[in-house]
Amino acid sequence: MNLNTLAWRNLWRHKRRTLITASSIAFGVLLAVTFTGAGDYFYTRMIDAGANMGMGHITLAAPDFNRAPSSKKSLQRVTQLQQQLEKLPEVKDVMARIQGQGMFASAHKSVGGMFFAVDPKQENAESNLFIKAMVEGGMPRTADDKTIVLGVDLARKLKLTMGKKVVYTTTDKHGDIVSAIARVGGLFQTGSNEIDGSVALLPMHSVQKVLGYQQDEVSVLAVILHDQRHSHQLRDKMQNMTPFSQVEVLNWQQTQPDLAGMIAVDKSSNYISQLLIALLVAAGILNTMLMSVLERKREFGVMMALGLSPQSLFLLVMLESFWLAVLGLVIGVIVTTPWYLFMSQTGIDLSGAYGDGFSFGGVLLDTVFKIRLFKESIIAILIGLFSLALCAGAYPAWQAGRTPPVESLKAL
Amino acid sequence: MEQTIVELKNLSKIYQQGEIEVKAVDNVSLMINKGDFAALCGPSGSGKTSILNLIGGLDSPTSGEVWLDKTELASLSSSELAEVRKDRIGFVFQSYNLIPVMTAYENAAFVLELQGVEKQEQHQRVMQTLSDVGLAGLEHRRPDEMSGGQQQRVAIARAIVTRPAIVLADEPTANVDSHTAEALLDLMQDLNQQQGITFLFSTHDQHVIERAKRIIQVHDGKISADDYRA
Repeated sequence: MNLNTLAWRNLWRHKRRTLITASSIAFGVLLAVTFTGAGDYFYTRMIDAGANMGMGHITLAAPDFNRAPSSKKSLQRVTQLQQQLEKLPEVKDVMARIQGQGMFASAHKSVGGMFFAVDPKQENAESNLFIKAMVEGGMPRTADDKTIVLGVDLARKLKLTMGKKVVYTTTDKHGDIVSAIARVGGLFQTGSNEIDGSVALLPMHSVQKVLGYQQDEVSVLAVILHDQRHSHQLRDKMQNMTPFSQVEVLNWQQTQPDLAGMIAVDKSSNYISQLLIALLVAAGILNTMLMSVLERKREFGVMMALGLSPQSLFLLVMLESFWLAVLGLVIGVIVTTPWYLFMSQTGIDLSGAYGDGFSFGGVLLDTVFKIRLFKESIIAILIGLFSLALCAGAYPAWQAGRTPPVESLKAL
Repeated sequence: MEQTIVELKNLSKIYQQGEIEVKAVDNVSLMINKGDFAALCGPSGSGKTSILNLIGGLDSPTSGEVWLDKTELASLSSSELAEVRKDRIGFVFQSYNLIPVMTAYENAAFVLELQGVEKQEQHQRVMQTLSDVGLAGLEHRRPDEMSGGQQQRVAIARAIVTRPAIVLADEPTANVDSHTAEALLDLMQDLNQQQGITFLFSTHDQHVIERAKRIIQVHDGKISADDYRA
């Protein structure tokens, strides 16, 4: 009988103990999938929502625009840049936008805020959060429209309703103060007070005229990716590509540092929780393997007397840990799969606690708690727990191998 | 001229028990020859098992030398000692010490597996040996399905299946009734006479002492007498 078979049989000497320990590994899989899956899902939702709020996963802007935005800093020949970007396989959508600060005035009040000038032809609900959040009216029909779309709170502050006039004032390309009139053509409600109370959408060409921009001139190109995880890598790649050498290429972490910071903090606490789970699982395995080694001390002495080397004895106990880990992971996958399918497709509705939605890092999230795992997270969980089980088994295995046979034979 | 298998030269083993030094083996010199059926006799605590452990490379001497054929055991690493035990020594223990998750066949084949003997040869040797020890037909039984005597027969099969230079048996009849003890002794005596296997027992069982061809008396870690029977 080879060591592998012997290890497997040894595992079943105490069925209940083995099953309890394997269950603790399986429970570790369930918790790790839930925690990691929640992270993967919510971080992606937040990052995508943040990107869809204006700046994209990757932003192309004039140098220094991100640090100190100004109408004076603009991107020229954006059509060429857009064509280059659309050739990249990671890119899903590219949208030209003008982003600026302005003062919005009604007959009753003036309120400071931020505007995005958009070309309705380029926008779609999938890549633009405001289209999805529209509660009244709609986006400007053309880029030459004289309409404005306001956040519901901003409209409330200005005491405006649909069709009413708004004067928006900003600084143009030369630093001069300029104004224009628009009529309220739509209202959006994202659920984030910060956004709903300060953001307005304007038609692209109208704003270009007001700012003194050419038709092919904007302040940013917002790039939406198929997978937000490629933003860092793609930014680095783009920085070394000739067409983008004259512009600043930024990823979402740079354009939305608050969101990036919050995600980093949340990830850290998530990692700590997972580490604690891992320690509990490891303690269970260590306990089982130590007990198993201690109660077989004499048997190990006999095996060494028969010629089993200390290294082979170490290997035998490690193989027991290996099979325990495999068993735990198999049970874990069997138990976790239906849970994962339910949580990734249906989820748990938390609207009773959170209402219609809640914002995190300035980004609105829905109230259905779902999980989704990236492929690499699945691999990381399985490898992580597997390695953990092997590490926890290493000490008992080392103990078994280092005890002199004469000492082991004395054990009862 | 008789071939010496084991030679002990001025062998001592001192154990530290707290602040007290216990001389388990005290300057023992001894030769075991091929074909011996020898018994180390003496009261409990006299040092019989310690001598067996030193010969088997299970323990290391405080001073002196243990030679197995032409190999001095004290100079070997733990892995090299394991190799020596695997290839050249068979052990039979007082309480059988079979591996409980293995059948009689698997227990007997365990050392052959460690030696890397081919499956077919393993099968032939194990089946023959189990038959030699009177266990034909019981090869698929696990230890908990066998009597004490049957378990000790499996232990003997495990010890001899590799054709070792010597079988070291520590109180092999201590845990069985007198009928079983006689049967086991018959078996070992047959193996000694027919196959020339060398046996060295530690015992204070009169049955074993009566059967032994050579009796080595041990007292307080020293050999007080060493006689061959006529």
